Amino acid sequence: MGRRLLITVLQMLITVFVASLVLFALIRLAPGDPAKLLIGRTMEIAWDAAAYETTLNELREEMGLNGSVFSQYVSWIGSLLQLDLGTSFYTDRSVAAEIGERLPSTLLLAGTALIIQTVIGLLVGILSAVHSGTWFDTVVRLLCVGLASVPGFVIGLVLLLVLAVQMGVYEISSQAALSRLWLPALTMGLLGAPQVVRVVRANLLSELGQVYIQSALSRGLGSTRAVWHAMRNVLLPTITLMGLSFTSYISGAVVIESVFAWPGLGEYALNGILHKDYPALQGYALVMVLSVVVIHLMVEALYVWLDPRMMRRKKEAAHE
Amino acid sequence: MNSRRASYTLGFGVALLALLAGSVLAASWLSPNDPLAMNVGARLQQPSMEHWLGTDRFGRDILTRTLHGGQTTLISCGLALLSAVLIGLLLGALAGMFHGSLFDIALMRIIDVLLAFPFMVFAMVIAALFGTSLFHLLLAVVVVWWVGFARLTRSLVLQAKNSTTVDAARVLGTSKSVILFRELLPQAFGPVLVLATFELGNLILAIAALSFLGLGSQPPSPEWGSMLADGRAHFMTSPHVLLGPALWIILTVLAFNCIGEGLRDRIDPYEKARIG
Amino acid sequence: MKIAEDLKEKLRIERLEVAYRQEGAIQTALKSVDFTLHQGEILSLLGESGSGKSTIAKALLGLLSPSAIVRSGILSLSGQTPIDLSQPSKNWNGIRGREIAMLFQDARLALNPMMKIRDHFRETLLAHRLASKEQIRSISEQGLARLGFSDPSTVLNAYPHELSGGMCQRVCLALTLCLRPQVLIADEPTSALDTVNQREVLDLLQSLQRELGLSVLLITHDIALAEALSHRVLVLNEGHIVESGPTSQVLREPSHDYTRRLLSSRNLTSDAEASSSPDAASLLEIQELVKAYGSGRPTLSGVSMRLHAGEIIGVLGQSGCGKSTLARCVVGLEQAESGSIRFQGQDITYAKGTARRRLARQIQLVFQDARASLNPRFSALELVQTPLHTFRVGDRKERLERARYLLEEVGITGAAQHRRPPQLSTGQCQRVAIARALALQPEVLICDEAVSALDMSVQAQILELLQRLHRQFGFSILMISHDVRVLRAFCHRIAVMHEGRFVEFLQGNRLSSGEHAHTRLLLHGAEELESL
Repeated sequence: MGRRLLITVLQMLITVFVASLVLFALIRLAPGDPAKLLIGRTMEIAWDAAAYETTLNELREEMGLNGSVFSQYVSWIGSLLQLDLGTSFYTDRSVAAEIGERLPSTLLLAGTALIIQTVIGLLVGILSAVHSGTWFDTVVRLLCVGLASVPGFVIGLVLLLVLAVQMGVYEISSQAALSRLWLPALTMGLLGAPQVVRVVRANLLSELGQVYIQSALSRGLGSTRAVWHAMRNVLLPTITLMGLSFTSYISGAVVIESVFAWPGLGEYALNGILHKDYPALQGYALVMVLSVVVIHLMVEALYVWLDPRMMRRKKEAAHE
Repeated sequence: MNSRRASYTLGFGVALLALLAGSVLAASWLSPNDPLAMNVGARLQQPSMEHWLGTDRFGRDILTRTLHGGQTTLISCGLALLSAVLIGLLLGALAGMFHGSLFDIALMRIIDVLLAFPFMVFAMVIAALFGTSLFHLLLAVVVVWWVGFARLTRSLVLQAKNSTTVDAARVLGTSKSVILFRELLPQAFGPVLVLATFELGNLILAIAALSFLGLGSQPPSPEWGSMLADGRAHFMTSPHVLLGPALWIILTVLAFNCIGEGLRDRIDPYEKARIG
Repeated sequence: MKIAEDLKEKLRIERLEVAYRQEGAIQTALKSVDFTLHQGEILSLLGESGSGKSTIAKALLGLLSPSAIVRSGILSLSGQTPIDLSQPSKNWNGIRGREIAMLFQDARLALNPMMKIRDHFRETLLAHRLASKEQIRSISEQGLARLGFSDPSTVLNAYPHELSGGMCQRVCLALTLCLRPQVLIADEPTSALDTVNQREVLDLLQSLQRELGLSVLLITHDIALAEALSHRVLVLNEGHIVESGPTSQVLREPSHDYTRRLLSSRNLTSDAEASSSPDAASLLEIQELVKAYGSGRPTLSGVSMRLHAGEIIGVLGQSGCGKSTLARCVVGLEQAESGSIRFQGQDITYAKGTARRRLARQIQLVFQDARASLNPRFSALELVQTPLHTFRVGDRKERLERARYLLEEVGITGAAQHRRPPQLSTGQCQRVAIARALALQPEVLICDEAVSALDMSVQAQILELLQRLHRQFGFSILMISHDVRVLRAFCHRIAVMHEGRFVEFLQGNRLSSGEHAHTRLLLHGAEELESL
C-alpha cells in the first residue's frame, strides 16, 4: 500500500516539476518585454531616452530578467520553494499574499458546490437507478442531458436576473460573505450534478444486476440493504468523479466567480490577464497545478484505503 | 440497453443538428440583414416582427448575427476538435501498440503533465501571454484536448491486444499492420467517436465560457462567444441580448449530447444480439 | 439411489409461466411448469442452456429480472399460504433465506467483493434476528467448520477474492445453512469448479442434505451429476417439463424423445483405436519445455511429448495445470524460456516474424471461447476467407468457393454463412472457428478446451464433426481438456498433466489403468459422477 502511494507521490513531483518548466518557458516565449510593459504603465513615456534605458535596466535587474535563462529558472524555483511567487506588476504586492487572501473564498465556493453536487447527484442517481424505466427515470435523464447542454454562465445570469434583480432576494456586491455564497454554490452544484447522477445511476444499475445482489436478496436481506450492498461498489467511481469535479470547480470557478462578482482566484487571474500581470498569472497557474495534483493524490489514497482488491493487486505485484 | 430509445435519441440529435447547421449555413439567405450593419436609432430593441430576437447595443439584428456567428463557432470548434482527435488517435494507437516502450512511457508522462493543467487555466495563460483571440483559444484546445483521446485509444488498443480475437488473428498468420487496421483500430473507433461527440459539445461550452469572459474572438465580427461578452453589460436591463447566441449554443450542445448518448447505446456489437 | 421414504410434500409449483420482454417482442421462457419437491429429497432439474432452468430457480425466490413477466404461477410451501407469483407485490419475508435458500453457479460472484466474509455472516444473521451481536462470531465459525474449513477465523477475515472458487461455494453454503432453511435451490453449484473441487462441494452438499433433511432442487445440465445425486429427475426442454420420475427410471428407460437424444449425447462413440498409427513419422516434437510467469513455480516445468502424423493426443489436466500455456507456446502466442518445439524436424521454438507467420499454414489453434476469437464485424463467410486472403491462396473466386465448401462441411449452410458472430449460436461459432482453422489445411490442429463451453448435445455434435474431419483430411489433433469423458472417447493417447508436467501417458481406451496418483484423482472425480 505504502509503496503504491510513494510511487504516486514521486510521479506527482515529476509532474509538478515539468509543469513549472512549461509555465516558465511559456512566460519567456510570450511576445513583449515585461519590464517595458511595467514602465509603460507606471511612468510617463520617457522624454529622455537615456533615462528610460537606465530605468529599464534597473527594473530588469530587479526583476531578474538579465541573467541567462537557466539562472532565471533556478532563481525562480528557489524563490518558489520559499513560497515567494514574486511581486505583482500591477498592485506591487506579493503574489503569494494576494493568492493566499483569495484562495479561501475559492475553496469555500468549490467545497460547498461539491457538497451540493454530491448530495443531489447521489440522491437522484440512486432514486433513478432504483426506479429505472419509470417516468421519474426518464424525466431525470432528460433533465440531465438538458442541464449538461447549458453554459454555466447562462444559468448563473438567469438566476441572478430573477433572484437579485427581479425578486431582490440576493444581494449583488463583491464581498465574499457567507450570505452571498449560496447562489453561486447552488449554480455550480446544479451544473455538476448531472454527471454525478449519470455515474451513480449507471454504476448502481450494473451493480444491482450482479449475482451478489441476487445472493443477498436470496438470503432474505431487504431491498434497501441490497442497494446499500451495491453502493459500496459504486463509491469508488463516484470518488474519482468527485476529485475531477473539485479540480474543475477550482479552475472553472473563473466563470461563476465573474458572474457573481465573487472575489476568488478566478477573478484575480482575470485581472491578471487584463493587466498583463505575468507574476500574478504564473502564481495562479502554479497554485492550480498544485491543487490538481494534491486532489489526485487524495483520490488515489482514498482508493487504496477503500478498495480491498487494491491491496491484492499490490500483493501480486510484489510477487513478480 | 433500450435500443429503441437509443435510436430515438440519436435521431433527435441528428435532426436537431441538421436544422441548426442548416440555419447557420444558410444564414445570408435566411436573414438578408447585414450582420455588421449598425443602426444606432434602433439599439437594444426588444424582439419584434422586424427583429425576431431584438437588436444589440449598436442596433444590429441579433438573429442575423447569431446565424452568421455560428459559421465561425461551429467550423472553428469542429476543426480544433478534429485535430485533437487525430493527434490523440495516432499517439494513443502507437503507445498502445508499443506498450512499455520509451515512447509509451514518455507519452504517458507528457499526458500526466497536461492533465495537471485544467483547460481553463491553460487557456487563460495562453490568452494572457499571446493575446486574446479565438485562434489562441483553439490552439490551447488542440494542445490540451488530444489527451483524452490518446488515453482512450491507448487503453482500447491495449485491451484489444490481449483479446482472443487478436490471438486468433496472430495464430492465423495475420501481419501486424493488418491486425492494427482490422482488429485494433475498429475497436477503438466507436468509443472514440462517442467521446468526440460529447467533447465537441463540451468544447463549444468551454469556448463560450472563455469568450464570455472576453478571452475569445474580438468584436465586431459576429461569433457566439463574442456576442455573449458584448451583451453581458446589458443583460440585466435587456436580457434578450443573450437569447440568440445562448439558445443556439444550448441547442447545438444538446444535439451533440443526444447524438453521443444514442451512439453510446448502440456501439457494442453484442449489445443488440444479447439475449436474456 | 432410492427415493426418500418420507414422501411429505415440501414445495409445490403450479402453472408457472414466464416470458421475457425483448426489444418490444415477448419471448416465452416457461410454459406451464408444474412440479413437487418432497421433504428430504434431491430433485434434479435437467436441461441445456436456454431451456429455462435458471428462470425456474429465480422465479421461486422472486429474483427474476425486471424484463421478466410472470404470467401465472402458484408457489405453495407446506404450512404456508400459497403465493401467487404473478402478483406484482409479494411479501418474501420469512421465505427468502429462511424457507428457501439458493446457491449460485459462480460463488465468487455471489459474495460482495467489498465485504469481508465476516460481514456477510453478520449481516445475514442480524437481518433474521438469529443471533445477538456476541453470538455471531461463534455461529459463523461453527457454520464454516461444518463445511470443512479447518481455520474458520482466517476465512472470516478474508475478502472473497482471497478465496478460491471452491472455498467461496463452501462459504456460500455455510451462509445459507446458518439460516436453517428447509429448501435449497442449487443452480449449477459446481459447474464453475474443476473436478477435484467439484467433488468436495458435492460430497459436502450430499452429506449435509442427509444430515439436515434438506429438500434440494438441483439445477444442472450435467446428466452424470443428476444421476449420482438425485432421487428424482425433471427434464426440461424449451420451457416444458418433458419428462419426470425417479432418476433410475428416467435415465435408464427414457420415454421422451428429447431425453433419449440428451442421453445419447453423453455416450460419445469412438473409432479412435482403429486409426491409431504409432509407426507414422513424428510431426511435432516437444522437449523439456519450460515456461514461467514471474518468480513463482513455473507454469510449464519440463514438458516433453511427440505427436505423430494422423494421431490424436489428449492433454488432460485441471484448470491451471499449464495445458493452455503449452498450446500457446506451440502456436507462438507465448515464448518458452527453455526447451524446444520441433515441427517436422525444424526448430520453431523461437520462430518469429515471417517464419512464425508461415507456420500458420501448418499448425492451427481452436480457442475455448470461439465467439471471442471471431471478429464480430465480419460474416462467417468473410471470416473463413481471411486466412486464405492472408496467404494469397487462389484468386478471389476460388477463396469464396473454398470458404463455402468448408462452411458446408462444418454444417453452416445457407443464410447462416452470411451471419456475423453475434447472430450465431455458441455451437455455430465453434463450427465457424473450426472451418477457419482448417482453411489453410494445417497438419496439426490444437483444440484448447474447444468443447468445454458447449451444451452436452452440441458437444457431441462438434466432437463427431472433428472426428469426421480428421478422417477426411488426416491432420493430427492435440486435444486439450479437463474432461475425462471427452478425451476418453476421442483420443489415441492421453497425456495427464499436473503442475506443469506430464505425469503419465496412457492409451485412450486404457485410461482407467492409469497408475499415477493424480490420474487416479481425476478419474475418481469423474467416475464418482458417472459410475451409476
